[in-house]
Amino acid sequence: MKDIVSVDHLRVEFATDSGPVVGVEDVLFTIAPGETVCVVGESGSGKSVTSLSLMRLVEFGGGTIVAGALRFRREDGTELDVAAASPAVMGEVRGNEIGMIFQEPMTALNPVFTIERQLTDGLMLHKGLSQAQASARALELLKSVRVPEPERRLKQYPHELSGGMRQRVVIAMAMACEPKLLIADEPTTALDVTIQAEILALINRLKRENGMAVLFITHDMAVVAQMADRVVVMYRGKTVETGTVDQIFTAPKEDYTRALLAAVPKLGEMKGKPAPERMRLIGDESARAARVAPVARKPQVLLEVKNLTTRFPVKGGILRRTLAQVHAVEDVSFTLNVGETLALVGESGCGKSSCGRSILRLVKPTSGEVWIGGRDIGALSPYDLRKARADMQMVFQDPFASLNPYRRLKDQVAEPIVNFGLANGAALKARVEELFDRVHLPRAFLNRFPHELSGGQRQRVAIARALAVNPKLIVADEAVSALDVSVQAQVLNLMMELQEDLGLSYLFISHDMAVMERIAHQVGVMYLGRIVEIGSRAAVFDNPTHSYTKQLLSAVPIADPTKRRFADDLAFKPIKSPIFPLGHQPAPSVYTEVAPGHFVLKD
Amino acid sequence: MTYVVNRLLSVILTLFLITLVTFAVTNILPGDVAMMIMGTQSNEAALEGLRQSLGLNDPLIVQYGRWIGGLLTGDLGNSLIFKKPIAELLVQKAVASAIIVVMSMTIALALAVPLGVWAAVHRDKWQDTVSSSASLMGVSLPDFFWGIVMILVFARWLVWFPSSGIVEPSEDFLGALRYAFLPSLALGLGLMAHLTRMTRSTMTGILGQEFICVARAKGLTERTVIWRYALGNAIGPVITIAGLQIGYLFGSIIVMESLFGYTGMGWLTYQALLNRDLPLIQATVVVIAAVVMITNLLVDLLYVLIDPRVKLG
Amino acid sequence: MKRFKTTKGLIGIFLLTIIALVAILGPMILPPDAATKMDMLARRSPPNWNHLLGTDQLGRDMLARVILGARTSLEIAVSAVLMSIVLGLPLGLVSGYSGGWNDNVLMRLVDTLLAFPALLLALTISAVLGPNVQNTIIAIGVAFTPYLARIIRGEALKVAQMPYVEAARASGTTDGMIMLRHVLPNILPAVIVQATISLAFAILAEAGLSFLGLGTQPPAASWGLMIQASRDQLDVAPWTALVPGAAVALTVLGLNMFGDVLRDILDPKSK
Repeated sequence: MKDIVSVDHLRVEFATDSGPVVGVEDVLFTIAPGETVCVVGESGSGKSVTSLSLMRLVEFGGGTIVAGALRFRREDGTELDVAAASPAVMGEVRGNEIGMIFQEPMTALNPVFTIERQLTDGLMLHKGLSQAQASARALELLKSVRVPEPERRLKQYPHELSGGMRQRVVIAMAMACEPKLLIADEPTTALDVTIQAEILALINRLKRENGMAVLFITHDMAVVAQMADRVVVMYRGKTVETGTVDQIFTAPKEDYTRALLAAVPKLGEMKGKPAPERMRLIGDESARAARVAPVARKPQVLLEVKNLTTRFPVKGGILRRTLAQVHAVEDVSFTLNVGETLALVGESGCGKSSCGRSILRLVKPTSGEVWIGGRDIGALSPYDLRKARADMQMVFQDPFASLNPYRRLKDQVAEPIVNFGLANGAALKARVEELFDRVHLPRAFLNRFPHELSGGQRQRVAIARALAVNPKLIVADEAVSALDVSVQAQVLNLMMELQEDLGLSYLFISHDMAVMERIAHQVGVMYLGRIVEIGSRAAVFDNPTHSYTKQLLSAVPIADPTKRRFADDLAFKPIKSPIFPLGHQPAPSVYTEVAPGHFVLKD
Repeated sequence: MTYVVNRLLSVILTLFLITLVTFAVTNILPGDVAMMIMGTQSNEAALEGLRQSLGLNDPLIVQYGRWIGGLLTGDLGNSLIFKKPIAELLVQKAVASAIIVVMSMTIALALAVPLGVWAAVHRDKWQDTVSSSASLMGVSLPDFFWGIVMILVFARWLVWFPSSGIVEPSEDFLGALRYAFLPSLALGLGLMAHLTRMTRSTMTGILGQEFICVARAKGLTERTVIWRYALGNAIGPVITIAGLQIGYLFGSIIVMESLFGYTGMGWLTYQALLNRDLPLIQATVVVIAAVVMITNLLVDLLYVLIDPRVKLG
Repeated sequence: MKRFKTTKGLIGIFLLTIIALVAILGPMILPPDAATKMDMLARRSPPNWNHLLGTDQLGRDMLARVILGARTSLEIAVSAVLMSIVLGLPLGLVSGYSGGWNDNVLMRLVDTLLAFPALLLALTISAVLGPNVQNTIIAIGVAFTPYLARIIRGEALKVAQMPYVEAARASGTTDGMIMLRHVLPNILPAVIVQATISLAFAILAEAGLSFLGLGTQPPAASWGLMIQASRDQLDVAPWTALVPGAAVALTVLGLNMFGDVLRDILDPKSK
């Protein structure tokens, strides 16, 4: 069988102000007709540069193919040297013989053209169709990617469609000319997990029906396990290892691949284990040895949330009157014990972040009570509230935005201590140094600025800042989501170590079910502002009872190629809008206790 | 519909605030209006008489009420220097200035958009350097200096256009355009430099977006990608910026019309300011501010037609 | 392009240094009557060894006048921009950071002021107060304030929504301290860039005001005044317009070049 793509010792350089920078330096792999090849790597591995080179789009970003060969077998059987092809020939190939889909469905469509125009211009150019023929084909395409109400969608503009629907349109655009190869560059990274599952299933079906090959670029090993026939592992611009998906997952040859796989949690692997466990890290033996011991003490409640409700006004008009309300958090109640982790999970817009912020009073809740250590946070005066903040701290998602770029790290870590007047002078210096030790950062970093650190290191600084005033509760809002998987594992292990040593309680807000299964004691699933199911980790993951929990868990990709789940078309219930007119009084949340401590919302 | 109503209410509120600011700047700031008119050397009795006749001894609120009442009924009082009703003067001069504003904006846009696109497409290449240097020169020269250069080159040396004066468009439309051309060109060149820079930076931002990459991945030609996909998105912001430049333009016509002896609104404003003709100052300032605000409103409404993401209501 | 940017920055700094030195040292070195002494025998004489840049209609030395004009222009522009920062910075900072009702009212007022062309506002204030150096500063300073307030407010609003501000609030920092330690340092680069650009506009505005006779008054030397005087003698003595015109252009060009490079350095987005 002749490969349709072969990439041989590809080297791409980018011209920058300080001379050429290597994007990728040694990439080689092939793609056979009809197969899915996944290129996987962490950020900076050069995986996107590789896919853009194959389309010769890399040169629009300032890159040049300086060495190596890129060959593509065209529809007429001739072999095209992509690196040397003329712009006219590339114009024929792009969109016609190779289709491409991108990461951000929100920005991949031209905002000022209708869906119809964007679907038809490629068809008219490549296939010479008339406007009417192209429109008919566009309708057909929208149907094949299962966009509801396709006739109406043609006349709409991108902003009128949801993210998942836009990604379907982007796929329809890429499929328009029935290409032999589809390049998908992180096509589901920006999407929620249920929509990701739908899109993955759609790509699988289209590939099967059209017999096309797929080059799938991703950073997510779980997605690789679900999609790939063969896998190309990349690291710092080089191919590290290639092999079939089974080879890579069961018998990886290279250390890097092994390390990458080890750090990936697999949903379901914690079944039957009584307590959270640290992440696996190759080369970090302490991580393997240490295991979070089950909390031996009698559980003691730290945080109690009662009927918490937060609504945000939707304002408009000249007088900025409130026109409607976003019901971000709706009648949420739960407790969190000392030394334990409660995971709040859910998809974007479910209110999990607003819930965390309402508890810390970073936003003012509409009603409800929050008790920490015997005090109702909601009833405190502004002065007392500021003092009470010493007990509850927060770690944010984006390690690049949560540190002030213009302040030295030591001053940022010292700020809370100074605010509460806990130490000054030499004692303050000693305390800040101790905190840096605590989060395993070298003291040499004390005088540095945030931009001199990597993402993982910054997140350690953010943790040190949160620890500075000896809080009892830390709210971690997607605290590891922005990090590469190996760094993510290190930061999670640090947080678990701190929990063991200091008896911290974590409220962990996350969309990542596999990670939460590893680290949480209790799990609450949020949907449209409410907790729909809450209980121990074992109860929620092993016996999901609410229909939404089931849907969510069935959509999570598992990092195990023997457990594939996205063969057939999937269609989950779309999430409803949380915006209601003024005066809308929702019903209170009523729960059934299906097992001791396992509550499920009555619908 | 609510949008339109809200927008209208907002316009009325802003117009009210504009009158308030104008009145405040011309009346509350220290300085005796009567002395401004008659000069510091005039005798006290004459000054007092003028104060009486202008109603300057009334409380400010009464003065403001009288002035706003006049504005609403179209009675702007009489100009002290021209000894004519101000409303009549304004109507006559407004047409002349409208010609200059439209002409200079057309010149500026017609040159700036292609030049800005050209620079953005060839970003960091010699084309960009040329375009950026030229527009940098353009924004660095005062526009009256351009005016002097125009007079020197086109009126004195080449003698293609008159160096000063005006022709009523109702009498001879082409002649009116001929007289308006040099001041418009001088204004347009300065404006063009600004708009070229803005077009370049808007286009640069858009060319870096993912949908441009998607369009290229579809195999569309560079011409389609740049002039349809990218410019289709840039034109809205560019027009908005051009609309905001209207304010700048109305400032500049004061200088330019005076330089060219072109008797439009700008010249009228200048005469009022120079001769401290208080009623005329108030009227011209209010009218110019109102025109600037309403132009910006129209540009906003135009945006709704260009960008489908912005909806009325 | 890297080379172009560096060159641009260097030229900008070079021009500004020269002009600043001339404005500061020039009046000290020149004889006190250098700019007012009338050489009746050499009226409107083209550049020559006695008068390097020629003379004007009264036989005054153009070089001396352009040097004194530099001091007037820079003095007025710098003071006016400082004034607009002193007024606009607290207004924009508080408005952008605290938001809500205050912000609505303040910004409505600023928007209204923005409907008045800056030059018209400055001219009107100058005409009402009576034209002199001090009032020219006030006129330009007040006219520029709404622009600065608007831009600073936008920046403050952006910074106020950054997670590090929320992090500071979560760790018990007071609003005043957040504005001082977190918001202000982060908007400062934008303020500096805007100040540089405003300075360029202020030089142009001063020239415009003086050109119209509503700024600096004769016999003081000002670039705008010199251009104004040259109007009637363009054919016979074009240097009387070109010399002050070039002085304005070089100063503004230097500021704009410096401002562009500053923006590239300070604003990571534009890279």
